[in-house]
Amino acid sequence: MTDKNSAAPAIAVEGLWQVFGEGARNSLQKIGTQDTRDTAAKLQDQGLIPAVRDANFEVQSGELFVIMGLSGSGKSTLIRCISRLVEPTAGAVRIDGEDILQASDKRLIDLRRNKLGMVFQHFGLFPHMSVADNVAFPLKMQGAGRSERRARALEVIKLVGLEGREDAYPRELSGGQRQRVGIARSLAVNPDIWFLDEPFSALDPLIRRQLQDEFLNIQATLKKSIVFITHDIAEALKLADRIAIMRDGEVVQIGTPTQIVLNPIDDYVREFARDVPKGRHMTIGEVMEPVGDGPLAGEWPELRTGMSLEDALTQCAATFEAVPVKDGDGKVVGMVRPDTFVKALGAEAT
Amino acid sequence: MTLTRGTKAALIAVIVGVMCLVLQPYFAWLGKWPAAWTFPVNEWLSSGVGAILDLFKPVARGLSWLLAFPMDGASWVLGNTPWPIVIAATAALGWRLGGWKMALLGLFGLSFVLISGYWAQSMRTLALVFVSVPLALLMGLAIGVLAFEVPRFRGAVNATLDVMQTVPTFAYLTPLLFLFGFGPVVGLIASAIYAAPPMARNVLLGLERVEHDIREAAIMSGGTRRQQLLLVEIPAAGNQIMVGVNQSLMAALSMVIIAAVIGGFDDIGWEVLLTMRKAWFGQAFLAGSVIVVFAIVIDRMSATLATQRQHYDAKIGWIILAIGAILAFVVRIDPAEIALLDGVADVVDTSVGAFTAANGAALDSVKNNAMFYGLLPLRIGLDQAVLPFTWGFQWQPSYSLWFFAAAVALAGLCAARGRMLTGLTILLCAGILETGIADLPWPFVLVGVCAVGWASGGWPLVRLCAILLGLILLSGLWERALLSLYLSGAAVFACAIVGGLLGFWAAVSKTAWVILRPMCDLLQTIPLFVFLIPVLMFFQIGEFSAFLAICLYAIVPMIRYTRHGLTTTPDDLIEAAKSSGANTWQTMREVRAPYAAPSILLGLNQTILYAFAMLVIAALIGTTGLGQSIYLALGQADIGLGLSAGAAMAILALIADRLVQGFAEERRKALGL
Repeated sequence: MTDKNSAAPAIAVEGLWQVFGEGARNSLQKIGTQDTRDTAAKLQDQGLIPAVRDANFEVQSGELFVIMGLSGSGKSTLIRCISRLVEPTAGAVRIDGEDILQASDKRLIDLRRNKLGMVFQHFGLFPHMSVADNVAFPLKMQGAGRSERRARALEVIKLVGLEGREDAYPRELSGGQRQRVGIARSLAVNPDIWFLDEPFSALDPLIRRQLQDEFLNIQATLKKSIVFITHDIAEALKLADRIAIMRDGEVVQIGTPTQIVLNPIDDYVREFARDVPKGRHMTIGEVMEPVGDGPLAGEWPELRTGMSLEDALTQCAATFEAVPVKDGDGKVVGMVRPDTFVKALGAEAT
Repeated sequence: MTLTRGTKAALIAVIVGVMCLVLQPYFAWLGKWPAAWTFPVNEWLSSGVGAILDLFKPVARGLSWLLAFPMDGASWVLGNTPWPIVIAATAALGWRLGGWKMALLGLFGLSFVLISGYWAQSMRTLALVFVSVPLALLMGLAIGVLAFEVPRFRGAVNATLDVMQTVPTFAYLTPLLFLFGFGPVVGLIASAIYAAPPMARNVLLGLERVEHDIREAAIMSGGTRRQQLLLVEIPAAGNQIMVGVNQSLMAALSMVIIAAVIGGFDDIGWEVLLTMRKAWFGQAFLAGSVIVVFAIVIDRMSATLATQRQHYDAKIGWIILAIGAILAFVVRIDPAEIALLDGVADVVDTSVGAFTAANGAALDSVKNNAMFYGLLPLRIGLDQAVLPFTWGFQWQPSYSLWFFAAAVALAGLCAARGRMLTGLTILLCAGILETGIADLPWPFVLVGVCAVGWASGGWPLVRLCAILLGLILLSGLWERALLSLYLSGAAVFACAIVGGLLGFWAAVSKTAWVILRPMCDLLQTIPLFVFLIPVLMFFQIGEFSAFLAICLYAIVPMIRYTRHGLTTTPDDLIEAAKSSGANTWQTMREVRAPYAAPSILLGLNQTILYAFAMLVIAALIGTTGLGQSIYLALGQADIGLGLSAGAAMAILALIADRLVQGFAEERRKALGL
């Protein structure tokens, strides 16, 4: 990479199309890509499958970019286009300014050996290799020596919390452990760009949450540029710096988690955002008004712009007195404090 | 009333059959395909292929000369290594592969070979296997990888492998004989060619089944294509490839033994053939047992390769080998002098002799009843099979009329109750039984098969059937093909009924499966050739013996697949049936049996292919038809006849395969599998 490209986004996707079927490239060229919907319809009339339709976005260095969509929305195909596991039909994918769709096979291998790492939904562990050998495999491809490979592998295995299991075989591991190996392997060569294709979808909910947290910890220290695929809106909102929502091969909205929840662009996105506990994903800063002539003096709870609505509400509720609760006949049978009340609601949604 | 495809097909067959029956007296060409309409295909093939083969002859002879070295080498090494070392090495290998169980299998297996007195012959057979298997594995691996890497080849390779699987074993031998000249090298090459397809198939299958994520992980790790293949995909497909190694070994062994008919190598297969010809059944039985033991040892040991293996300490292996070496120094007995089991052979001989003498009448009556009331009518029809000598009276033309009238009445009854297809099937069966398969008019067979093809796989299959059957008609092999069809058809029919019942029994009773399973395992391990020994012992040479040998070999898949189909019904289906109040029998009939149908059809398909494979081997003990032609061609080195008869056999097997596969596929689709 030359220095003049260092200001370029880590990944830039421009006008990317992936059309499956015989003679897709010719058809796409003939039809043209002025109007995405129209082009897709014409392609489908010819029996072709436009799996990714005119995708455009950028991922900044150190950003955690999540692509979310239902199964069949083209998100897995999209990540395979960016990593060039499938050959895109049209468009450009720039990694640090270099269009990798134009890269030679040799250059591509070079990139994969040094710059790219990928985690797969079903782990993709090599069944005939031990954990350490699996993790060290990309290093072996780099041509690293045996002892160097082992040392680095142990380092990454420790990072993902699998110390002591390095000589186990994949079949001896649980699902969560397997994906830890997958993560370790993808990090072995210390890549700049990290692709994760539904890495936690095949895991139990509890393990999933645990791995999500650990993944955030790892990212906090490593600061990779990440493309993360998921079909789970809660996962997307929890992890993402920005989210791209896909439907029928099209990216329909790109935004921060808050933007997605607050301003869904259409019913499809709104439908996703509906079941999301908004209180947890929106901050008080996003709903506050400018300071007018209102009474601001006095004892007020400590609110900060970055606070979630839930936390802010708890703080506010603490300023109220307890409220009596009556039975059917109007007799007071107990009382409730608004803050415990708010906490109980929050606890339920967690 | 709308008719289903099957009903329409049966209706067409019935109409053509009736027309043939009525018009045959007026047009002789309807009955028998006139000789004037055939082409001298045999001569063409003889001269054409002969000329091509002549071109390759120098290369082949060179190859033959070259291969003689490793073969003689292996033969010399095995022949001159002291037997304690060979046995210890086998046991040590067994230990490494599968622990004590396999070590003991190796030890006892080879010890049996030693005391049988066939040590030298066995080592020669083993030498052939040792040289042919690596060749086969290399070829198979190369073909499999090539087919995987170049998708354009995949279809062609698969089709070729399909054809190779259906071409009968003997048919390979004639052109090979021509190319390589007499001698053991032909057996070697034949077995390498015969053993390569299973390897290629499993390599391809294994590579195709490597998980997508594993493949992509290798790419994303930055491996070159070669690194991906060698370091990830082939090892990840390891288990499937080892299944290929196992099948390849068994195929090689089977072929090496069959190739003994060429002679010239004094191996164990030759020994069986020789003793069988001399009717020394005790010795034939002993030599056959040696082959079976070999087959079991090789099969079970190589099967461990395909399972998740434990690690067995190499040291113990070395210790076993060391013990063998020490023994070799201490015990210096020439294996040729060890024939501890000759007594057993004599006992077998005398007791079989005594048994057949004592029960000769019973055995004869079994044989005659089966022939007179089963096989003969099927072959030449009731109109010719019913004689005073067989049934006690003479069939009259008027009986035929009555017979048909009864069939029509029954069919009408079925049709009236809405079972049109059953009725038509009854009519067809009656017609075939009256006429006999060997005497069926060719238009009926042609149209009938095509109609079934239409019901099974639509027009493409009709086209295939018509073209392939047309080829047989034009080649003049039609009558022999019908004879082959009759014998294999009878065997398949018997296997389908008996095997289906046994499979059903095994599915409902655990005890039954405990009894049947080792028998099935054994029958599937035994090389084809050995099946001839027991039937010969009791029923002498003849069609009935051939029929029995075919049934013994071909029944196994029917049992296995029927049981498998019936026992693998998903639990929730059975629970749903039970909670709807179905009893065991109703569950079986309404849920398990329909669910098992595709599996059972596949079993039938395998049974048919097995029957065709055995049919040719059974030619050794007296069958007519294509098998006999192939065997004769081998004896006379007649390439034209060998190839055309082999091709005709392959065509029959191929058509049967496609028809049944078509129905199985339709059932699978209907069940949404």
